[in-house]
This record gives sequence, structure tokens and C-alpha cells, in this order.
Amino acid sequence: MAEDPKIEFDHGKGEKIPHFRSLSGLEYRRIYNRKDWDKELPDGGEYPFTRGIYQDMYRGRLWTRRQQSGFGSPEESNDLLKYLLKVGQTGINIDSDIAGKIGVDPDYPLAQADVGLQGTSMCTYEDMAALFKDIPLDRISSTLIFPPPASVVMMGQYMMMARAEGIPWESLIGTMMNCPFTQLVGPTFQANMDFFPIDLALKIGLDLMEYLIPRCPKWNILNVNSRNIRECGVDAVQEAALSLALGCDFVDRLCKRGLDIDRFARRIGFFSAVHLDLFEEVAKFRAMRRIWARLMKERFGAKDPKSMWFRCAVQTSSLTLTAQEPMNNIVRAAVQTLTAILSGVQSVHTTSYDEAYCLPTEKTQKLAIRTQQIIAYETGATKSVDPLGGSYLVEKMTDELEERIWEMMKEIDSRGGFVECFKEGWVEAELNRARYKLADQMESGELPIVGMNLFRDEETAADIEIFRQAPDMQAKRIEYVQNYKKNGNRDTARKALKNLYERTRSHAGEDLAAPMLEAVEARATLQEVCDAMREAVGFSMPE
Amino acid sequence: MPTNKRIIMAKMGLDAHDNGLRIVSKWLADAGYEVIYAGVYNSAERILRMVIEENADAVGLSFLGGEHLHYSRKLLDLFRENDLGHVKLIAGGIIPPADVVAMKELGVDAVFAPGTPRSDILKRVAACLPLV
Repeated sequence: MAEDPKIEFDHGKGEKIPHFRSLSGLEYRRIYNRKDWDKELPDGGEYPFTRGIYQDMYRGRLWTRRQQSGFGSPEESNDLLKYLLKVGQTGINIDSDIAGKIGVDPDYPLAQADVGLQGTSMCTYEDMAALFKDIPLDRISSTLIFPPPASVVMMGQYMMMARAEGIPWESLIGTMMNCPFTQLVGPTFQANMDFFPIDLALKIGLDLMEYLIPRCPKWNILNVNSRNIRECGVDAVQEAALSLALGCDFVDRLCKRGLDIDRFARRIGFFSAVHLDLFEEVAKFRAMRRIWARLMKERFGAKDPKSMWFRCAVQTSSLTLTAQEPMNNIVRAAVQTLTAILSGVQSVHTTSYDEAYCLPTEKTQKLAIRTQQIIAYETGATKSVDPLGGSYLVEKMTDELEERIWEMMKEIDSRGGFVECFKEGWVEAELNRARYKLADQMESGELPIVGMNLFRDEETAADIEIFRQAPDMQAKRIEYVQNYKKNGNRDTARKALKNLYERTRSHAGEDLAAPMLEAVEARATLQEVCDAMREAVGFSMPE
Repeated sequence: MPTNKRIIMAKMGLDAHDNGLRIVSKWLADAGYEVIYAGVYNSAERILRMVIEENADAVGLSFLGGEHLHYSRKLLDLFRENDLGHVKLIAGGIIPPADVVAMKELGVDAVFAPGTPRSDILKRVAACLPLV
């Protein structure tokens, strides 16, 4: 017999939320009015782009539906891409497995248990060609999630594939993420330091940008992954300040190479998180657009308005997903997707509710795309530019966040910029402080999470379908690459690798993208290319 | 004088998502355990060496990418082969429910899902590693 339920709610007292602070600690006022904000706004598409980078925003064209995807072998991932495009995805976002990102092949001992788990296993030209089979490279834009030096190898394979299909490089549309600090799991120190020397990675990333600027004019050369920064647990102000400061470090280095800002700034984008504090997030994106525009114009002297655009892809937060009652995550992702649209972003990945347990299944990825389509076609949120603009609350919060972001950027600047702060461990200390604080807030209930620290229901077990990899996938991939390196004529590859080794050893100051691409052309594998450079500088990886 | 139990905290293989590892390591250290932070990118052999060198009482592993069964099995095998059957193995992270059962059957002493409260974790760790 069931026990009598214990009723805790007291109708006489009513139900109240615990406090009125935003996630970044701003105090929401009881009500906002003209005293809080009484200014004029620019038009959409007008400097400093508070209201969006385009005059017509989603009236002109909807955002790109770009779900990060990839698992197992390139062939399996190709099937997934085709499925996603069939249900309405409009751009591709390829995530490789970790081995692919850090520049080791599937047969590297420490990689073997991770092959294909968090993304597609990729290491040869043939893998790239299998992954993109039947995908029109000049009509569908693809984002490739790789930091340098893997970014150069993958870009080389992608360009070879275009050439083989008769597609000119000038027509390629997409993005190589290409950031050595944020592309693994945020700017955590050890994650980004252990598999390649960071200074050399940064230098190679810049070499690739310089290589791409004249050859692939529609291709985006860099994307700063501000989402991975946020998902370490920092708040909106820290996310914005750290990622914008990092963006500046890249721009600064490209300018110092003698490149004209108006030739490359428009080819730099950001990838941000969307969290659950709706108005603060909208204010964050508006403030980031303003700050980036001012930096490009005033600090770096850009003249072309397109150079001043803060172009931003987003993915709804994974940190806000709960393993408890996973279906609740559908609601969180929907609210965050709407928030992204109210913020005027350029592309969206809606995170699937099952990602608190595993990679998403086809079914949950379809639901994520449907979520975006419902917001696009049914809600009307797309029908006017910057629909929350002029709201006293949103404008005041945009101003307040902007001020705090500038403040933190000044501090980063006074410490020598993001790259220095990263190398000295200052970024790591900030992240750790934020993580401990977040954990305390979750424990105390200061950060209420329904189903986890609030209204928790221990009785209900999660009942969801779990994504499963093919049981022999890893063994097959390991065998494939071992045979690849054993069979066939490897003389040209060996010669190109030797040249790359020499160039890295004796002429590391000069361009390394070209000799790396020659090795790719000669069918060297991902790790062979990266190892040639590791050996040249005497760098050893964890075993 | 008796000292508190020593626990090595680590992530295995290539996954470097270390939010959970950092937070739980701090919780354990604050509670009085002697935490040896091994960080990310560990092999089972490296953890075995550390267990021997540090004379550890337990290993705590954090997983996200689906490599939990592989490394739990491998590490428990190494413990057995090296007469370290007394060393406790504790794990947490993104692990599907069916695999939690499988890990316990392998011999993992405790498995924590994301969102487990600190008090719960400390209670269940203390059950296999009593504090002095």
C-alpha cells in the first residue's frame, strides 16, 4: 500500500524563487523604466551592431541549423550527415573524435579506447572523402572542429577533396575552427598542452590562416570557441571577456604579420554557449557585438563594416542538462534556442536531451532540429529584428554587462593578453575558481536546478534510449590505419615528412602550412604529419 | 598516528572534460582525504604505477566519452595481477544506467551519476574508505 504523500507546500506562504541575481551576479531590479535607459538605438546592420549584424536579420534568411555531429567511422558519419540534411539541417558541423583533434591516429595506444567515441574517427585523406561523400562542398557550408596542427592536415584533405571533385577553392564555404586554446574542452591547461607545443600550435594556426586568406576567400579561417570556455563553469561576463580577448590576440598577430585587417577580420567567427538566464544571455550577445565592433574599428583600424561583425554560432548549454529526469532537458534546450534567436545569432546547435548520458541518437537529433524549426516557423520570434531591443531591462543589462566585460578585458590586457594569461596559469585558476563556485551554488540551491537540487524525485529512473556504437568499430579503425601505413608505396610520404621535419627543425619561423600540406598531399596520415613536427622540436606525448 | 586514506583522482584515455574531476577532488580533499591529483590523459599502466608508488587506498575515475567499461575492466585486472585487490575503485560521470550495473558487476565499488549531492558522494566514499 502506498504511503500518504507528505505535502510540504504552504499555500498561505506562496512559492518564491530564492533570489533575484543573474547568473553573473547582476541584481535584477524590481522593474525597469526610462530612468534606467533612455538612449537611441542604431538600426539593424548598423555600427556597433547592437541590434544584429544584418539589417533584415532572419527576415532576410533564417539562421543555419548546424548540429555538431559525427561518431564511429567516416562511413557511418556520412550516413548520419545525410539523415540530418534530410530532416532539415542546413549546415554541417563535423566533430572528430579526440584523437583526430590532438593529432594522433587510432592505433596510438592511449587513443585506442576512445576511437570514434565522441566524434568521427579521421586520419587519412580517404577518411575525409568517405565522410563527405555526395555532399556538395560549394553549396553546403561545413564547420570542421579541429585545432592546429590537426586543422592544417584536415584543411589539406578537404582542399584535396574539392580539387578531386572539380570544385574551385574559391567556392568552398565553411569554417576551420583552428584555435589551439579552446577546441578541446575549453582553455584548460593540461588538456591543451600535452599533445603539442602550444606556441608552435598557435604559430601553425596562423600560418594556415595566412595560407587560406588569398586562396579560399569565402572560407572562415578561425572560430574562437567561447562555448567551451563557458562550459567550464564561468559566467557570461567571463565567457565574453576571455573569448573576445583571445580573438584580439589572433587579430593582433595577423596584423603584425603585415596582413590588412579588412582582408581577414570578416573571416573570423565565434562559437558561444547559450545558458538559461534568458535576458542576461540576450544582453551578452548584444554587448559582445558592440565590443567586437569597437575593437575592430578603434583598436585595429578596420574600415569595412563587415570586418566589425561579431558573427556567432551557438550551441545550447550542456552544463545545464541534468541526468535526472532527462526529458526536462528538452524544455531547457527549447528555451535556450529561443534565447539564441532573440539574440540574433548566425547558427544554432540545439543540444539533445540524451547528451547527459551519451551521444545523441538519430531520434533526439531530429527533435533538436524540429525544436529550431518550430521556433523559426511557428513562433513569430523571427519576424522582427532584435525583438527585445528597447526593453528597459535588456538595454540596461546590455550596458551593465558591456561595462563588466570591458573591465575584465582590461585586466587580461594588463597581464599581457589571453595567450599570456593562459600560459601563466591565470586562466586555469579563473576556471577552477568558477567551477568550485558553481558546485557550491548547485549544492546550496542558490542555482536552482529542477529535478536535481529542487523537486528531486529519487523514485523515477531515467528511461531513455541509449546510443550504442558498433561493437567492432574501434578494432576496425585501428586495423585500417595500421594497414594504411604498412601497404602501398610510402616513398613520397616519407620524403615529404622528412622535409617537414627539417623545415620545422631549422626554419620554424617560416611558413609551415605549405610543407604540412605537401605531406598531406603525399598521403601521410594525421599523426605522421604531427609526429614529424613533434620529433623536430623534441616533444613527447603522454603514453 | 593513523592518517587519512589516500585516493588518486584521474581521467583515463583522451577525454579531458575535467569539471567533475576537479570538483569532486576538492570535495574529497576538504573532507580530509589525501587526494593525489593525476589529471587527464592517463593510461591504466600509469595509474597502476602511481597506486604502487603512492601506496594509495583508492582510485577515483571520472568519465564522459564512453570509455568507462574499458578502463574500469583494465584497471581492475591490473590490480588483481599485482595483488592490489584491496585498492578501491570509484567512478563517476556520464555513464548510461545499464553500464553502471555492468561496472558494479566488474567490481567497481561505487559509481556516481552527474548531479549526485556532495553529502551522498562523501557518505558512499566513506563506506568503503572510512575517515579516521
